[in-house]
This record gives sequence, structure tokens and C-alpha cells, in this order.
Amino acid sequence: MASERGPGVTGGGSTAAWGAPPARADRAASTGGIDGRPAPGGGPVASVRGTDAPGRPFVVDGVGAGWRPEIAGWVADVPDLGFCEVIAESVAPAGPPRGVVDLRARGVPVIPHGIRLSLGGAEPLDPARVTQLAACADALDAPLVSEHIAFVRAAGREAGHLLPVPRTREALDVLAANVARLSAELTVPVALEVIAALFDWPDDELAEPEFLAAVGDRTGALLLLDVANVYANAVNRAQDPRAVLDRILDLVPADRIGYVHVAGGSARHDEAGLYHDTHTDPVPDAVLALLAHLVERAPGVPVLLERDGGYPPAAVLTAELAAIAAAARP
Amino acid sequence: MTPAPPGESSFSTRRIGDAGTLAERQAALVAALVAGAPDPPGFDPTRLAAARRALLRKRAGEAAKHWPVLAASLGPRWSAAFAAQHAGREPGGALRDGWDVARALRAELSADAAHELRDREAGWRYDGVRPPRPRHLRAALRTLAARR
Repeated sequence: MASERGPGVTGGGSTAAWGAPPARADRAASTGGIDGRPAPGGGPVASVRGTDAPGRPFVVDGVGAGWRPEIAGWVADVPDLGFCEVIAESVAPAGPPRGVVDLRARGVPVIPHGIRLSLGGAEPLDPARVTQLAACADALDAPLVSEHIAFVRAAGREAGHLLPVPRTREALDVLAANVARLSAELTVPVALEVIAALFDWPDDELAEPEFLAAVGDRTGALLLLDVANVYANAVNRAQDPRAVLDRILDLVPADRIGYVHVAGGSARHDEAGLYHDTHTDPVPDAVLALLAHLVERAPGVPVLLERDGGYPPAAVLTAELAAIAAAARP
Repeated sequence: MTPAPPGESSFSTRRIGDAGTLAERQAALVAALVAGAPDPPGFDPTRLAAARRALLRKRAGEAAKHWPVLAASLGPRWSAAFAAQHAGREPGGALRDGWDVARALRAELSADAAHELRDREAGWRYDGVRPPRPRHLRAALRTLAARR
């Protein structure tokens, strides 16, 4: 089925990534549109980006934090919390966690964030997981759901974490089919997150920015742009994080960014400086600087802090969120 | 970046050498990362080794949530103890993974950690092969409530 689908069958934009790289390069050169200014020369680029004016409403707004049971009290006390995220697999749709219900009652949007759907897996999606995520979105009246450009299991074996897919046409076919399957049960948009990968596939046909653009074109999904993951991948590929981010923003229109993740990580001295996206360390200054640059190019983009362990005192989390807010709302 | 030739359409049967379909290649990668299988050809072995360790640390962190007393009793040695037990063994779920560590260290557990293990053994049937099953509903609910 998927094997019969050539490039560009779903969504004409995908052909640009595959068949006509120069068209992408032209778009890349027109950085003006991302700020809401018309791209030089008008044409299709301008029409794509003409809605990127500052102040344009995103699906969510402001600065958010990932809700976790361990820091529920802190999240509840964040002043002006724009939105939050909850791990979808941890939510029973019939009875979401009390803290999450309370936030919804206060009008804080809650995004179910799936981590085990395996949208990049070549095997069929687990129907129960699809249904659970959809039910979770309904129960929380969520504005969108998010998952990852990744796979987490194969041949009945769990990896235990998000693994990268090869950046190939074949993987795009898989993602397109799986996102279509998911979207058929959802009443809200999907945002797909770029993951932090410690290795690449030998099969890779595309660089990550081109692949992310193609994923958007093929799936119709929004991009969940994790700026810490962009940083991690660039560092671990010996690339300049800012140049990689710029390339992504050249190729993915700002109005296709659902929201942004920020998280901490650290380099392990026993691994020659390999940077790990741990979610248990502070957010490095270099990631905050990258966030500030992102916000310059995509003003008003919603930003969410993820922390998944090694929880510091509330005051430390508050300071970290304030630093993110300062970078994101200059 | 090397775009495939225009007109190519049989992507899902595309093969890299004899590495198989994408499903097969993904399975081979997962087996190499968590179940002790050899690295698939073409990957950077240093990076796969780093990923293997990262996956073990991630699993250790999740198992610690199910076995807080055991993990706290080992402190900074928890990750190493977990890796010693589980390197090359595929994930069995956080409850079971931690259980295996507790049983392996049974002779040297602190009094509190030993109590935690006894508590689990009383509430669940676990034969070391199949997933643990609750003996009583209450134990199951307690464990579920502890999950995030």
C-alpha cells in the first residue's frame, strides 16, 4: 500500500523536498517571510508565509510547563501558566489526574503528549494506543495532541525510549500512513516532535531540516520544535546548532510550528562530550540562546519546559521557567 | 544528503544491502540496543553503545519510581546495579525490571529495601519469566497509583 505511494501523492509540497531541491533552496533564501514580512519576489512563498504576522494566534499561547505528578504542586502555582502538557500514557481518560483536572478547570489548556505510539514504526499502530490518545484529547478538551518522529518498539520488543527513524522516503511513507491512521480518530491537530538522537541511520537520504519539512508536507502535522533536541543533535553531529535551526525555520513555515519544547541536558565526560537530552539537568545557556534566536524568527511561538526527573526545589524550577520566559518573550 | 532517483516508488521494499525491509531493520536495531544482538551494519558502534547505556539509564530511572526504597538504598550505585542486571536484556517493564534487581541483590539489601521486596512479593506473583500479576486488587491499585 505505502509502497505504491510515490513522492508528492499526498500534498504537493513534498515534491519540493524530494524532486526539486532548488525550490527549497529558494525558499530557504527568503528569510524575510518568517518574520511576517512578505518574501522577496512574492509568489508561492509569500502566500505560504503571509499569515506569519506577529501576534497571529497559535494553537496554544504563552509559556507552559510539563505537568508531572512529582511537580504538580509547582506547576499549579506557576503564575500566568499559558498551557501544560501531560504524558498521554499516564492519563486514564475516564479519570485524569486531579492536578490536571484542576488546571483544566482554571482554563489552562492541556496537551496530551504521547511517548509510546511509535508513529515511525513500520509495524501497524496499536489500535488501543490510538484510541487511548484520542480519548485522552477528548477528556481534556485538548487543543491538539503531540507525539514524536520516532519508533519505540519493533517485532514485539520495547526499546524503552524514543529511537530515530531513518530519514528516507520509506520512513516518510510510514509516518504519513500512521499519522493518517491517528488523525482519523482525532478531532484536533497533531504536532510531531523532533527527537534527540544519539546516532543516525546509515540509510539517511536527507538532512534533518529537509526531513522535518518533508514530514510536515507528507503528514500535514504541525511541528513540535524541541529546541533542546535541535541543539543536542547538532552538537552530536558536529554541526552549528544555530545554522541547523535557521535551516529548519527556512524550510518549515512558522505557522506550521505547533509549539516549542525546552529541556535540560548534559554532556557526559565518559563519552567524549556527547550531549544527552536528559530532562533531568538544568537547561544550558546555549539552549536558552538558541530559544531566543528561534523566537526572533518566530515571534510569539508557545514554549514549554519539560522536566522528567532529578526535580530541583520549586524555586530553581521557577527561576528556570523565568529564564525561558525572558528568552521567549523579550 | 542524497536524494533517491526520481521515479523510484517501491520504497517499502527498498533494501540496504541485505538488511531487509524497514520493519526488519528497525527490529534488528532494537535487538542490538536492548537484547544483546549484534550491531546492524553501517551504524556507528560507538554511538550505538552510548545509546545502549542511555537506554539502560532511562530504564533505571523508571524502575526507581516503582522501587523507590531499593533505588534510594543504593543511591548513586543504582544505575550501575541496574545495568549489571539488565545490559543485553530487553525491557520487561519498570516494575519487573526493578524486581529483577531486587532479587539479584536479595542477600545484600538494606532492611528497608528488603521490606519493599517482601511487600511486592506478597502482593504479586512473579515467576521471573512472565510479567508480574497481582495477587490482590489492592496491591495492583497501589502500584498503579505509584505510576506516573
